[in-house]
Amino acid sequence: MSITEKILCSKSHEYILKNEDGTYTIGLTDYAVEQLGDIVYLELPEIGTDFQKGETFATVESVKAASEIYAPISFKVIEINETLADAPETLNEDSYEKGWLIKAEAIGNISEQNDLMEYEDYKEEVE
Amino acid sequence: MTKETYLHDKHVQLGARMVDFAGWHMPVQYTSIIEEHKTVRENVGLFDVSHMGEVFVSGKDSLAFLQKIVPQDISKLAYEKAVYCQLPNKNGGLIDDLIIYKLGINYYLVICNAARIDEDLNWMVRNKKGLDVKIDNQSHNYSLLAVQGPKADAVLRKMGLDTMQESFTIKPATICGRKLLISRTGYTGEDGYELLVENEFSEELWDKILDYGNEFGIKPIGLGARDTLRLEAALHLYGNDLDENTTPVEAGLSWSIPKDKKEDYNGKNIIIEQLQNGGGKKLIGLKMLDKAIARHEYEVYKDGEKIGIITSGGISPMLNANIALAYVKNDKNICIGSTVQVMIREKLHNAEVVKKPFISKKNKIKI
Repeated sequence: MSITEKILCSKSHEYILKNEDGTYTIGLTDYAVEQLGDIVYLELPEIGTDFQKGETFATVESVKAASEIYAPISFKVIEINETLADAPETLNEDSYEKGWLIKAEAIGNISEQNDLMEYEDYKEEVE
Repeated sequence: MTKETYLHDKHVQLGARMVDFAGWHMPVQYTSIIEEHKTVRENVGLFDVSHMGEVFVSGKDSLAFLQKIVPQDISKLAYEKAVYCQLPNKNGGLIDDLIIYKLGINYYLVICNAARIDEDLNWMVRNKKGLDVKIDNQSHNYSLLAVQGPKADAVLRKMGLDTMQESFTIKPATICGRKLLISRTGYTGEDGYELLVENEFSEELWDKILDYGNEFGIKPIGLGARDTLRLEAALHLYGNDLDENTTPVEAGLSWSIPKDKKEDYNGKNIIIEQLQNGGGKKLIGLKMLDKAIARHEYEVYKDGEKIGIITSGGISPMLNANIALAYVKNDKNICIGSTVQVMIREKLHNAEVVKKPFISKKNKIKI
């Protein structure tokens, strides 16, 4: 099963991937990354911070502009991808396995706050 | 409706990402802005800048007319030479910045910014009252291709074009029986040429340049890299770094203005006074001291006080640092080497005031 079959995506181009231990990996879709072009800087949140669904939790800077990244679900940050601080271009290469942004614990019931789409539906929506 | 250049379909075929810029549907990048940027600094790149405006000025009062609308002394402009100029309003604020080329006796070419063609034409027409001048906007009939980079000259020579020794020079040329104008000018901080051709010939010329340039590593370059290149060279972008409330002195363009020009021109009193005493603000170069990126319209602080605003900011692929242009109040304590702060997402980030341009030209040629 490829990774895009396991993720759920938001209209604002974030994805969530449920890990075996029940936590979530959160990042930007490959489509979003391609649209942004060369990524040169990422501002990631601090571990332990809570975010409500829809809130800005990170910022991605491409050569052209700074873009906000919104929380696709409500969560508490438990890990950030440290490699992105020195190598933000990792995101251009692979936004899933290497270029994920954070790992988080969900707050509340995911299915109740959910308007996330399967990857195929998301691609249809954005293209 | 957004306009398209004659080369639009070429860009789409080449897989460019297209964006709206100044009312035009233009390529922002073909592969990667950073790669394209480095291609121009190290080898050579080809740009479609056909959105730029071309206005021909002719008639027996051409010189008097141009002397009235720009602070530069056009009487000193030699045949087949070009000069960087500004178009001030009556208060010295800039309606546009231009390059004026002398093509013959009472015959000049004015290249202006795409987004300002209408304003420029309106202002020119208002200033020609009583003068025998013909203002002929030919923007829609011409394409402008820029070949920029240390190997630009080699590419043009390979094409059989007789290139010139000096920058800011223009001359007619012929290629495959087609006439064009080639000028040693550009907007990248590199050596290079701009080729002005009738639209019908633009696609053939585009292909020919890519073909002959192949052995020199030529690549098509989008507007994204054009912006990062001009920022490293601290070249002003109209709308960001220049506007109708900014004088050429405030914009750091005093070097381009003669103090001894006899003729009156729009905004002369204010511009001459500011050449003596400075303006209300000044344009400075900033280098960020951390990894944060300063962007257009971010605020600049010193000692907790707001002192100005970023007008252009981004990354410098060659310096591997983040750089910006900012207008700050005209205070001598804000000088090269001093530290200021830029407000980025509600946090202050240190930046050092540095010399402009941010990079120096490697391949300096005689002007």
